[in-house]
Amino acid sequence: MAREETASIDLVDAETVRQLSAAVMLAALTAVLAQFSIDLPGGVPFSFQPFGVFVAGLLLGPVWGGFSISLYVIVGLAGAPVYSNAAAGLGYVLGPTGGFLAGFVVAVVVIGAVAHRSLTPTPISSLSVIPTAIALLAGLVVIYLIGLPWLATVNGWTLTRAASFMAPFVVGDLLKTAMTTGVVAGGTGLLADRR
Amino acid sequence: MITVDGLTHAFGATTAVDDVSLMIDDGEWVVLAGPNGSGKTTLVRHFTALLEPDAGMVRVNGTPAANDPVAARTSVGMVFQSPREGFVGATVGADVAFGPENLGLDHDEIDRRVDDALAAVNLDGRRDERIDALSGGEQARVAIAAAVAMEPDHLVLDEPFTGLDWPAQRSVLEHLDDRYAAGMSIIVVSHDLRDLFDRADRVIGLEAGSVRFDLSPDAARDRLPEIDVRPPS
Amino acid sequence: MLTYTPGSTLAHRLDPRTKLAFQFAFALVAFTASTAPQLFGVLVVGLGSLRLASVSIRAVLRAYRVVILILVLGPVVAAVTPGPPWLRLAPALISLRSVARIIPILFVSAAFIHSTPIRETRAAIQRTIPGRPGQLLGVGVGLTFRYVPVLRADLRTVRDAIRARNGDTRSLWERSQRLTVLLVDRALRRSDQLAVALQAHCFAWNPTLPRLQFSRLDIPVWLLSVGFVAVAVVDLLGL
Repeated sequence: MAREETASIDLVDAETVRQLSAAVMLAALTAVLAQFSIDLPGGVPFSFQPFGVFVAGLLLGPVWGGFSISLYVIVGLAGAPVYSNAAAGLGYVLGPTGGFLAGFVVAVVVIGAVAHRSLTPTPISSLSVIPTAIALLAGLVVIYLIGLPWLATVNGWTLTRAASFMAPFVVGDLLKTAMTTGVVAGGTGLLADRR
Repeated sequence: MITVDGLTHAFGATTAVDDVSLMIDDGEWVVLAGPNGSGKTTLVRHFTALLEPDAGMVRVNGTPAANDPVAARTSVGMVFQSPREGFVGATVGADVAFGPENLGLDHDEIDRRVDDALAAVNLDGRRDERIDALSGGEQARVAIAAAVAMEPDHLVLDEPFTGLDWPAQRSVLEHLDDRYAAGMSIIVVSHDLRDLFDRADRVIGLEAGSVRFDLSPDAARDRLPEIDVRPPS
Repeated sequence: MLTYTPGSTLAHRLDPRTKLAFQFAFALVAFTASTAPQLFGVLVVGLGSLRLASVSIRAVLRAYRVVILILVLGPVVAAVTPGPPWLRLAPALISLRSVARIIPILFVSAAFIHSTPIRETRAAIQRTIPGRPGQLLGVGVGLTFRYVPVLRADLRTVRDAIRARNGDTRSLWERSQRLTVLLVDRALRRSDQLAVALQAHCFAWNPTLPRLQFSRLDIPVWLLSVGFVAVAVVDLLGL
């Protein structure tokens, strides 16, 4: 192709391509983890749902982390079965548990912003335990702050009723923030610096 | 034509490509041979300005690749190692159309190119199939079609036979023969020369980031052991 | 599982932008419905959409079984009171009226999913959201859809690799961490390869956009959507 024909093509810069690719992979990872659980003794499922959101915030920071989880939600809106129990669609998002999805999008931004205290992420190896734990707990609070009133509104419940309905899940979610903190900042060397 | 001049590229303390100079002419079949870690993949990524050199430069058809990456990438089609890692579309048609769409071509021209490229690798009429449902050999051919749809003058293939069974390898080779006959230069990066030796016009031996030799296949045969590449029997 | 299924129903032939607009307009009007006739009207439209897309109610109920279970629990849980009379009708009715609005929205989104391939929604995004955000979101949606099955296969590989060496005997804590780390590591390696592949194919801000074309079929659906929004606005403003 001759030079004059190629001049009109506006290439996406390398840094944006890199961030977009990472955001895509974490969106896909969130989709895969949302379908996956390990059965605990007694048949209680231990879902991996929030790990993708946690990792996206810590790894990509608020901007690209937020973009990544937005992609996850939009792909589900478009009809790919990526929400829990292989559900999809606007009906799911507007349904009783849809507030938790909306919560994910805000939470990943909060996690990224609190952990990195900047719009651009610092290397994940530089995150220490306390800020990581605080960021993830803040994210968890945001997820419930949006998810619970949503559940209460859709099901016509009082907020207390919605809260007691969801209470059993809080234990597992707290455990998951602790696990993620351990992976990222626990000094186990499990997650070498890849970004 | 691809001209490499004093190209050097380091990743931290490791120099992957060390002052390499070479030239690849239009319509030539060149094999870049070398063991793992000899800098082959890094070298060919510079052909399309996918990396920034620490020193030296690559020219594609006379223009520095870094100055006009679009021209370099349309003139040099890349087929990556383990192509299934590099698909950007869920279906065959979507993947092959991605490059032509980025060139801003109109829909009729995109359709023509996708159809021609798929026909060139015997995948006509399979645009709507999901890539994940294809066999390894078919996936390798989709990756070639995606590069061919850019209508390049050169085709670079990085270890194209890894993980393919013999019929799939043979089919890829036949399609490369066709491209070569149609006037395209074929540049194959490989540590396994068994089927390439009879086809190549030239064998360039790389070791530790440097060119050890640049010879005709017959002359290169005896030099392969010194760069730890098994000579074809 | 409810996914896109090729077909030639009326719903399949509509432009994706029309279907998206209809979906959102309908959700808006459904949320403002509160009287029995209004709720009935909304349900009729929901069932009508299923009909136009040839989706069976059973398929929808199966696909959304967990959502529907929680919706059904709504009135039940709402009725319970700690102490006599133990069950109260008034809160149950409030809840019932609330959850009844959601079921038709599930119907409409099932009709959308069944009749609209992801690539059309992607095209709608690229053609509706202007400039770079539209391009990034559109391409991002296409790529995410492409990589979900790839990462699902990675998850299986990683799980099997852990099992093959008796990793199942380790604690839940250790197993979960190892699995997450291995998966993230693979995903990031794929991300590096994807970035190179995108650049090699001249990934540009200004590509040829996917083809989309409205037809006369879209007009009545747009009129209906505008009508829904008008009704919802009138209701919200209390006119």
